Amino acid sequence: MKKGNLISSTLRLALVLAVICGLVYPVVVTGIGQAFFPYQANGDLAHLGNATIGSYLIGQSTNNSHYLFNVRNDSASGVDPDITVSSALAQARVIHNSTNISIAYLDSLIHNNTRYSMFFFGTAYVDSLSLNIQIINHFHNSIAVYGKIYDRVNHH
Amino acid sequence: MSFRHETREERINWPFVLKDSLVRMSPVRLIDNTVMFVVELSFLIVLLMTIAPGAFPGLAHQSDRIFYAYVTAILFVTVWFSTISDSFAEARSRASAASLKKLEKEGNAKRIRVKENGERTIESVGSSDLRKGDIILIEKGDLVPIDAEVSEGIAMLDESLLTGESAGVRKSKGDTIIGGSTVVSDSIVAVVNVNPDETYISKLVKMVESSERPKTPNEVALSILLIGLTGVFTIILVALIALSLLLNLGADLSVLIALYVCLLPTTIGALLPAIGISGITRMSRNSIIAKSGKAIETAGDADVILLDKTGTITVGNRRAHEFIPLGSHTERELAEASFLSSWNDDTPEGRSIVELAFTKKFVPKEYDALREGVHEEFSAVTRRSGITLVDSDDFTLPKGGKEFFQRHRFRKKFELQTRLNEETTIHKGAPEAIKESARSCPDNYDETVKKISSEGGTPIAVSVNGDIIGLIYFKDVIKPGIRDRILGLRRMGIRPVMITGDHPLTARNIAGEVGIDEFVAQAKPETKYQKVKDEQAENRVVAMIGDGTNDAPALAAADVGLAMASGTYAAKDAANMVDLESNPSKIIDVVMLGKQLLMTRGAVTTFSITNDVAKYFAIVPVMFASIPALDALNILRLTPHIAVLSALIFNAIVIPALIPIALRGTKFRPQSTLRIFLKNLFIYGVGGVLLPFAAIKLIAMLLVIIGGII
Amino acid sequence: MIGAGYLLITALIWATIIAFSWGLAKYLKKVYENEKTFLDKILNPLENFIYRILGIDRSKRMGWKEYFLSLFVFSVFSAAISFVVLAFQGMLPLNPMKFPGMSWSLALNTAMSISSNTNLQHYNGGSSLSYLGQMVGIQFLQFTSASSGIVVAVAIFRGFAGKRDNNRNLGNFYTDMVRTMTRVLLPLTLILSLILIGLGVPQSLSGYSLVRTISGSFELIKVGPVSSLVSIMQLGTNGGGYYGANSANPFQNPSPITNYIELGAMMLIPTSMPFLFGQMLHKKGEGRTILIASYGLYAIDLAIALIPLTTLGPGMETRFGGFSTVLYTVTTTAFTTGSVNTALAAMHPLVILAAFLGMMIQATPGGIGVGAMYMLMYVIITVFIVGLMAGRTPEYLGAKITANDVKLAIIAFLAHPIIILVPTAIAYATGAVHTIGLGKGPVGFTQILYEYTSAAANNGSDFLGSTGNTVFFNVSTGIVMWAGRFIPIFIMLAIAGRMSGKKRSTEVALRTDNLIFPAILIVSILILAVLTFFPFLVVGPILMHLEGIRNAL
Repeated sequence: MKKGNLISSTLRLALVLAVICGLVYPVVVTGIGQAFFPYQANGDLAHLGNATIGSYLIGQSTNNSHYLFNVRNDSASGVDPDITVSSALAQARVIHNSTNISIAYLDSLIHNNTRYSMFFFGTAYVDSLSLNIQIINHFHNSIAVYGKIYDRVNHH
Repeated sequence: MSFRHETREERINWPFVLKDSLVRMSPVRLIDNTVMFVVELSFLIVLLMTIAPGAFPGLAHQSDRIFYAYVTAILFVTVWFSTISDSFAEARSRASAASLKKLEKEGNAKRIRVKENGERTIESVGSSDLRKGDIILIEKGDLVPIDAEVSEGIAMLDESLLTGESAGVRKSKGDTIIGGSTVVSDSIVAVVNVNPDETYISKLVKMVESSERPKTPNEVALSILLIGLTGVFTIILVALIALSLLLNLGADLSVLIALYVCLLPTTIGALLPAIGISGITRMSRNSIIAKSGKAIETAGDADVILLDKTGTITVGNRRAHEFIPLGSHTERELAEASFLSSWNDDTPEGRSIVELAFTKKFVPKEYDALREGVHEEFSAVTRRSGITLVDSDDFTLPKGGKEFFQRHRFRKKFELQTRLNEETTIHKGAPEAIKESARSCPDNYDETVKKISSEGGTPIAVSVNGDIIGLIYFKDVIKPGIRDRILGLRRMGIRPVMITGDHPLTARNIAGEVGIDEFVAQAKPETKYQKVKDEQAENRVVAMIGDGTNDAPALAAADVGLAMASGTYAAKDAANMVDLESNPSKIIDVVMLGKQLLMTRGAVTTFSITNDVAKYFAIVPVMFASIPALDALNILRLTPHIAVLSALIFNAIVIPALIPIALRGTKFRPQSTLRIFLKNLFIYGVGGVLLPFAAIKLIAMLLVIIGGII
Repeated sequence: MIGAGYLLITALIWATIIAFSWGLAKYLKKVYENEKTFLDKILNPLENFIYRILGIDRSKRMGWKEYFLSLFVFSVFSAAISFVVLAFQGMLPLNPMKFPGMSWSLALNTAMSISSNTNLQHYNGGSSLSYLGQMVGIQFLQFTSASSGIVVAVAIFRGFAGKRDNNRNLGNFYTDMVRTMTRVLLPLTLILSLILIGLGVPQSLSGYSLVRTISGSFELIKVGPVSSLVSIMQLGTNGGGYYGANSANPFQNPSPITNYIELGAMMLIPTSMPFLFGQMLHKKGEGRTILIASYGLYAIDLAIALIPLTTLGPGMETRFGGFSTVLYTVTTTAFTTGSVNTALAAMHPLVILAAFLGMMIQATPGGIGVGAMYMLMYVIITVFIVGLMAGRTPEYLGAKITANDVKLAIIAFLAHPIIILVPTAIAYATGAVHTIGLGKGPVGFTQILYEYTSAAANNGSDFLGSTGNTVFFNVSTGIVMWAGRFIPIFIMLAIAGRMSGKKRSTEVALRTDNLIFPAILIVSILILAVLTFFPFLVVGPILMHLEGIRNAL
């Protein structure tokens, strides 16, 4: 085995693979992804009216408000948008008290958005951002706090 | 195992064991045994802790000095137990060598000097003065002074001192006689074929006595494994010492060292040398000289054993089994004719005909005419032998029994009395040959010949004056017990192959009878060699026995070659083992001993490693003084000092407790490899995990009681 | 008690992965034995083009030394490329967020970490790496370290299969690497990336965008080439995530379904290795033994981790719940991947204990390629210890295990505790532990021991994360990761080289292809691992458990 050959061939191999795996491959995947799944590829962006207000996958802290669902602050990622259904139902009572939105509406909203960690059993959870957006969309004309939020993001 | 255990008187020299075991504790001697050397170092460290605990800040306490003294003592005893096992094995080996040496005692020899004029004189010399090439005379009652080859005469020898076999052995020209055996009848002249320090016994003694025994391949591999494990546990010890200091865990150095020593594979480390020595000792006790320990180990790996039919599977040669008269002839006629035709036939077959006729009381009245008879030697051309005699009467029947067969002397006693001038010619030989030369042939002749052959027998035809009168049925005599041993081999996954010069039909019958599937029939001298090579080409390990010069190439090529002491020098040189008893079926025992040695090593290693689990559970929970929460792991419920001492004591006494297993080998019956393996795994693996839990707890309870009394 | 549903899901995942792996192994055999496949028409010209660039003789067979040397020098060069990109990303293109370069020690640690298939991350990728850094600094090395693992396994399998011309028998490193990329990793990652994008994992090169949230604060939407990276980091058992929170971050792992796909992805190739072994040897039973032993150990790990009833708690992600989090944590250490979908500190000490076992054994089934390699090391040690009891010189695959094989296997085994315990002690002795705010109690000790165990096992999960970004931990773990990677590979290639030249007997004393042997193997591995690490686990996670500490939060 000639050392010179080994060194030049392995170096070339490293460079070739850096180009193929480090550049060509991610660019190709990006191209296909953007073409076929533009919504997902750009991060499941959430909109309120015309404005982009975040991603459905990223939880948003609502500063302990009494009219929106709050995220957990002690998750692993720190940006977990999901809360357990039991927590959501408890928060729904608070929201009901401060906004007069009917318990029945909030409960059915939660139940319609419920998913399970094991697909059909396990931890039942809902996406807090999704609930908040649905509530704001539904009530921004009738309840002032929601209208304020809607206007603020849309006139930014 | 069918090896004998105590064949010779052997006394263990206990003072030697005591002294030798202490000498072996010197670090210089011990350094070859990594595990025990490390234990000795540990002993020295704890000894230092006992003397000067202040030298170990944070790791030793003044108040625990008595405890350190106990640990020191137990560690000393641990090392000592291991050297005792070595010394004991050595002493046993020496005892066995000493009993062999007795055979070699200096005696007188009668050396024959041949003068220039051809005249021979006999001079008396010491046996140690004999040299290769000397000619010696050995007479009735003499001890054979040295290994030699018979050049003249026939004699009966008693080799029982050497081999334990009490039956006399007939030796004639070309046979090898071994120094130490006794001539019980007649006298012989023999040529010395070794110098005094090259005799089998001296070789055997040297091998048994030599302490510089090279390690076998598996011993080397096992030693490396033990060094590796020692490395692992050393890393653990060092890391524990460091972490105990850095994290303020409060561990005592003596306890960490105790854990370390308990984890080290001390059991196998201590017993490994003894197991090796015992292998050689056990071989020598069974009169087999192995040229190296490696050969014994390789024997355990044998895949195929080539077994000579004659001597291994059957007793000697074929024997006459039945007289089958044909046509109008009677059994008496046939038997008497056979008797007469065989009287001068010196082959074992010939003798067996006479014996059969005699036991059936068919002794011909022409008996005393035999002396005058004209004997026709067997020739390969005619494939027959025979006798022509002149009939006579007035003979005396011998008394019978053993003496009857010593025909040379017997014959002299009977003189010819009367003579009738009637000539009779009797022939016996291969059925085809006899048929060719016969005038008449009975109708069912061919049919009967075929029938005997198909039963695995050999037919010999007998004709009188050209008339075929019948057939002698020759049969092989299967050695007692050989069938079971073949079965044992097969259970262990070893393939026996029978080698024979016989016709395939005969071979198949014999093989079938003892449970061998594969045989090589009509084997020529070079067949064995070819078979060895063929099997090796398939990457099989081949063991075989051999005695003739023809066998030498095959013996050299085989992985394990066992030569018979009675065989030729070429064969013995080529082989890697020699059996002094010349019992070919011992190859099976050699293979089993090889296996047993490996099993013993594996079993003690497994036991040694699995023991560690319990020792961990005894010591680790009490190891860190500053962590009371670990008490939950203390499943044996032991207090710190008691836990450490009982684990250490268990660790030490397991060594002498296993010495018998190391020396005798693990129990072993020929069974399927898997069953043996699982049985050993259960006893030494599962047992190795569970036993120490119980034993350590028991020792702890005893310690508490003793402590209470004191 | 764990509900039947959880066990059913686990069984279903195992069965699915084992079935897929079996199929994959058949394909892998074709790839590495140069049999015709449907991809030849497209890939042959591409590969020939690459071979021309490399200037290599493709028909050349390599002995174990040349194979190792090529792999090692290649790894140095690839790590160097990554080091340059990471250290100087601030001056390089594809950096819309204008992140500065890494410090030398962090860049060194990262390059050594990813190139050794460890993916210990002392950085937070989402907030410190440019797109070029993620793609060429990280993702490129995730490909090369994954393919290195596979080719090492294949070379070792060839050696163990024997029957080739002596000493030139382990194959050709270059063609193995190129074919692994073009025929195995790139196609698989392409498919997986697209599936993950479809399920919500971002893939974009347009930069982070700033949005105003409903509560009026500002938020960075950190999208990038996430899916392409996640797919190779899982398939290649790398485990180095795009974000600091790794697969706990919803962008990397948006839902239960992506969680199980990512879980399955890291199991796929390691599980196919035993099948490939059996097929390359033409002895399927021998492959089955390795599979049973490694999954048996995996099951034991999982059983230990499931003793405490883990429910959703702090430090976990809601969408995964307690069970999936524990399953993922055990799996990521059992396959030495190191990606996590939780904060390790949230885990019960017994889950951490199970994680330790996975990393200390490294063959449960272990990392890509190297897991099977470690299992073969254990097989040799086990066959030697217990095989004597069958009354013959121990054999594996018909070849006698001799002193030198035992020596090599023992050195490979010994390396692991040394490179874990020595730096752990040094970290305490130098006060490096103190400077990152960890104490001397069982919680701190567990985290430091975990750091080096993870580094040595080329796992990559850790408690420290970016708190480990000190020169001491960067350099020490860097050394440990490379030692943990290349010492065992060197030794096992040497053993394979020896095996290839050995005579094979056709008679077998101790069968290794039945159901008894894997059971013995499992017990022997557990005893060896317990013997080596028990005292340290006792003062770490076991003590945490005994003292009633539920997690390290």
